[in-house]
Amino acid sequence: MRYFIETGYVSLNKKGEELCGDRVEIIYHDGTMTTVLADGMGSGVKANILSTLTAKIISTMMASGLKIEDCVDTIVQTLPICKQRQVAYSTFTILQIGVMGDAYMVQFDNPLCVLLRNGKPYEYPVEVNVVEGKTLYETRMQVELGDVFVMFSDGVPHAGIGITMSLGWQQENVVKELVSQYSPTDSAKSTAAKLAEVANALYLGDPGDDTTVAVMKVREKQTVSIMFGPPSNPEEDIAVADKFLHTDGIKIVSGGTTSKIVSRRLGQEIRTCLDYADPKIPPVGMMDGVDLVTEGVLTLGHVMELSNMIVSQDNTDLSWLQKKDGASLIAKYLFEYATDVNFFVGRAMNPAHQNPNLPLDLSIKLKVVEVLSKNLELMGKRVNVEYH
Amino acid sequence: MEIYVCVGSSCHLKGSYNIIHVFQELIDQFNLKDQVELKASFCLGRCTDGVATKINGEFVDHVSPENAVEVFHEHVLKPLGME
Repeated sequence: MRYFIETGYVSLNKKGEELCGDRVEIIYHDGTMTTVLADGMGSGVKANILSTLTAKIISTMMASGLKIEDCVDTIVQTLPICKQRQVAYSTFTILQIGVMGDAYMVQFDNPLCVLLRNGKPYEYPVEVNVVEGKTLYETRMQVELGDVFVMFSDGVPHAGIGITMSLGWQQENVVKELVSQYSPTDSAKSTAAKLAEVANALYLGDPGDDTTVAVMKVREKQTVSIMFGPPSNPEEDIAVADKFLHTDGIKIVSGGTTSKIVSRRLGQEIRTCLDYADPKIPPVGMMDGVDLVTEGVLTLGHVMELSNMIVSQDNTDLSWLQKKDGASLIAKYLFEYATDVNFFVGRAMNPAHQNPNLPLDLSIKLKVVEVLSKNLELMGKRVNVEYH
Repeated sequence: MEIYVCVGSSCHLKGSYNIIHVFQELIDQFNLKDQVELKASFCLGRCTDGVATKINGEFVDHVSPENAVEVFHEHVLKPLGME
C-alpha cells in the first residue's frame, strides 16, 4: 500500500519577539516526506539563526540520503557559538516517512514525539545512540494508516509555567489533551492548531517561550476535483464535464454557467436553497452526481483568503470548520479532506464580468486558482491544474 | 407562482441577497406562502442585465434592492389580483 503523508505545523512566537526561535522544515524528496523541528537556544534573532541553520542543514542532508551521524557532525561544526553560554546549540526532531510507510525518527533534546495510533498513545521502539557527545533517540518502524505523529518544542509542555500552573502543562498532560481532542478526520494542520491553541490559552495569550507543534499524519489518497468556469470553446463543454465527472472522489462544481453545463450533461437538476450562512457568499446548491454546487469566483475568492490564513504559521483559528457557507464547505473538502486536488479551469469570458466596477474578470479568476494551488501545495497536497 | 432570483457572481454583487430579503418579507406581509415559491437560481444567463429574476415564467431584469418592492407589486401582486 502507498501512503500519503500529510504535514502541518503552527508556531507561536515568544511574547514580544518578532522572530521565532523554533523552526520547522518540511521537504518531500524521492518518495519520502521529511519534517525537521529545531528549537534554537534562547529566543529572538539568535535562536532563529540557530534553529534555521539546524533545520535547513538537516533537512537538506537527510533528504539526500546522508547518515544522521554526518548531519549531527555538520551541525556541531557549523553552528555559531553562543557568547553567553559557550555552546552552539539547537535541539531537533527529525521524522521521515516514506510512501511505503517506513518511518525513521531521530530526536535530540526536544520533548518526546507523541505517536497516536487509533487515537491512543502508542509506544514506539527507541534506540539510544551517542554522537559527538549528544544523546540521540532513534526510531525505525513501519507506520499504519491513520497514525499521527505530533512533535513539539518545549514551549508546549512548559506552557503556563508561573502563570496558570506552577510546573507548566507537562508532557503527560499534553498527551492527555492530544488523546481527548483526537478526531480521525482532523488534518495535520488542525491537530497542530488545536494543541497550540490550548498551549496559548495556558500562557494567557502571551507565550513565555516559542511554541511550535508539527504534525505528520499517515493517510490514504483522497481526491477532490473542482470544475471552475466554462471552457473558452463551448464545443469542449461536454468533454471537460465528462473528464471532471470521471475523476475519483469528491466533485465540486463552482460557477453558474459551469453548473448548468454539468447539470445538462448529467440530466440532473440543481437544487438551490435560499439560506445565506454568510451574506457575503452566495448560497450553495446540490445536484445528484456531484457533491457540491456553488457560485464561482466570489466563493473561491473567499476560499483563497481562507487558505492564506491557514498557511500563515501562527494561525490557530479553526472557526471556519463549523461554518456552512459555500467557501467554508469547499475549504473543508480541500484543506481537511483532500490529499490530491484537481482543478478544471475554464477560460470562457463572461461579458457581464468585464465590468471594471465588478471584481469578477477572468484575470481575477486565474489569480485565485494560482494562489489557492500554491497554498494547497504548501499544505503538502498534490495539485493538478488544467486550463480549458 | 414561482420566483427565481439569480445568485450568480455578478447578480450577487448587484444585490441578490437584499432582493431575496425584500421578497421574503413581502411574501410574509401579504401572506402568500401558499401561493408563491421563492427560489435561488445559479445563473439565469442574463448576467449583463442583473439582477435577473424569473417570475411566473417570465424574465424580469434589472431588479435592484431599490426597485424590488415595485417589481413585486407589478409582477407578483398584480397578476394575483391583489393590487
